[in-house]
Amino acid sequence: MQNLLCTNPSFSPVLIHNFSLLSFIYSVALPRMSSKAHSSNNIAHARRTVQQLRIEASIERIKVSKASADLMNYCSEHARNDPLLMGIPASDNPFKDKKPCTIL
Amino acid sequence: ELNYIHWKLQAGKCGLCSSVKACLSACGMACQGLQKGETLASLKRECDNLKKKLEEERGKLNDVELHQVAEKTEVLGALSVKTRRVLKGHGNKVLCMDWCKDRRRLVSSSQDGKVIVWDAFTLNKEHGITLPCTWVMACAYAPSGCAVACGGLDNKCSVVPLSLDKTENLAAKKKSVAMHTNYVSGCTFTNSDMQLLTCSGDGTCALWDVESGQLLQSFHGHTADVLSLDLAPSETGNTFVSGGCDKKANVWDMRSGQNIQSFESHESDINCVKYYPSGDAFASASDDATCRFYDLRADREVAVYQKDSIIFGASTVDFSLSGRLLFAGYNDYTINAWDVLKGTRVSVLFGHENRISRVRVSPDGTALCSASWDNTLRIWA
Repeated sequence: MQNLLCTNPSFSPVLIHNFSLLSFIYSVALPRMSSKAHSSNNIAHARRTVQQLRIEASIERIKVSKASADLMNYCSEHARNDPLLMGIPASDNPFKDKKPCTIL
Repeated sequence: ELNYIHWKLQAGKCGLCSSVKACLSACGMACQGLQKGETLASLKRECDNLKKKLEEERGKLNDVELHQVAEKTEVLGALSVKTRRVLKGHGNKVLCMDWCKDRRRLVSSSQDGKVIVWDAFTLNKEHGITLPCTWVMACAYAPSGCAVACGGLDNKCSVVPLSLDKTENLAAKKKSVAMHTNYVSGCTFTNSDMQLLTCSGDGTCALWDVESGQLLQSFHGHTADVLSLDLAPSETGNTFVSGGCDKKANVWDMRSGQNIQSFESHESDINCVKYYPSGDAFASASDDATCRFYDLRADREVAVYQKDSIIFGASTVDFSLSGRLLFAGYNDYTINAWDVLKGTRVSVLFGHENRISRVRVSPDGTALCSASWDNTLRIWA
């Protein structure tokens, strides 16, 4: 989203999106918010992060060799049905131009 | 789940406000309950330990690289794919497109607020809808083919039923379904016309009931704009993946709202995520000029698609039907076709005159459609 207004690929103006603008306002322009509230939010955030990480750390994983073999099997099983991979004749592909009829 | 009670720590007082009484108002603000012995510092330590553990666990299973396993697969020749149709009609940048299940119709949306439904065989424009907002960043075809969803800078995602009556003003029948607090960046119907999944610049994804507009589930976890989402292929169950400006790709359980897996290896915004056809993996496109491939069962990145000569951001990806090819659209106006298994580039598709915003393979795999900021869409086959 930073480059929303950019049409020239050779330069990219940095556009601060809403989220970082809000964070900036939060951290600078609200002195009346008690530091206790701020640290309470930090604790809640840290708690949520710990819980999330516990969930992620506990999932079952398989080896990359097995995962890769399965991905390769899927590709080879379906390869012959993949028109963009195999190329299909013009007669089967509605987007390819059929040979024009010659009217004698 | 938050305990608004002070716990007495070893010194006999709350570590946060030093109060010795268990009372909500004692320190003027609900003190988020700390478990015995828990402090902000101890939570942060546990975070760091868990992150290390995650890395270790993932590393243990990294016994070989995908491209090494794929060495015995045959090398792909260059694709004989070229432009077969150019769809002209939008007056401004085309931001999004989606195929209809009938493999010939598609819907596209543009910066000027126009949504067009095309017959890609004949180039006929079947429907035109003018929305009051500009930058319609997201559009999707309903599974039945009878409606389209669209949304963008209006912070909403609306569903428009497609009428057979060409004279009817479709915009009048538009129904607002999703309401976010920032722009809508992506949308998709689930397996029926009844539910809509959206993602937004407000950092959340959400599942909506189309008929009532009710929010069924919201998905919190991204810490910046969410730019893309993709639903898992129906055989693999109720999950979806999202990617955004926090450089993370998250996998979610649709029923519980729980974030089940998270991947953070990109160095910049993730612009697009797409599932591999088997549902066991997904690919992502990023402003860091790379596309990456993540296996969900190995829980890690297994390939990076990059070249020194590619320096512009990748905005969109899609797989061919077998999953062997990954088509990626870039901000340098090209589409690169990658060999997913070997990690090498197979072909470059030239033709567009501005950056690519979206690429999508047709439902039967016969064609690739690309949408671009050059105001056109192209069909490649």
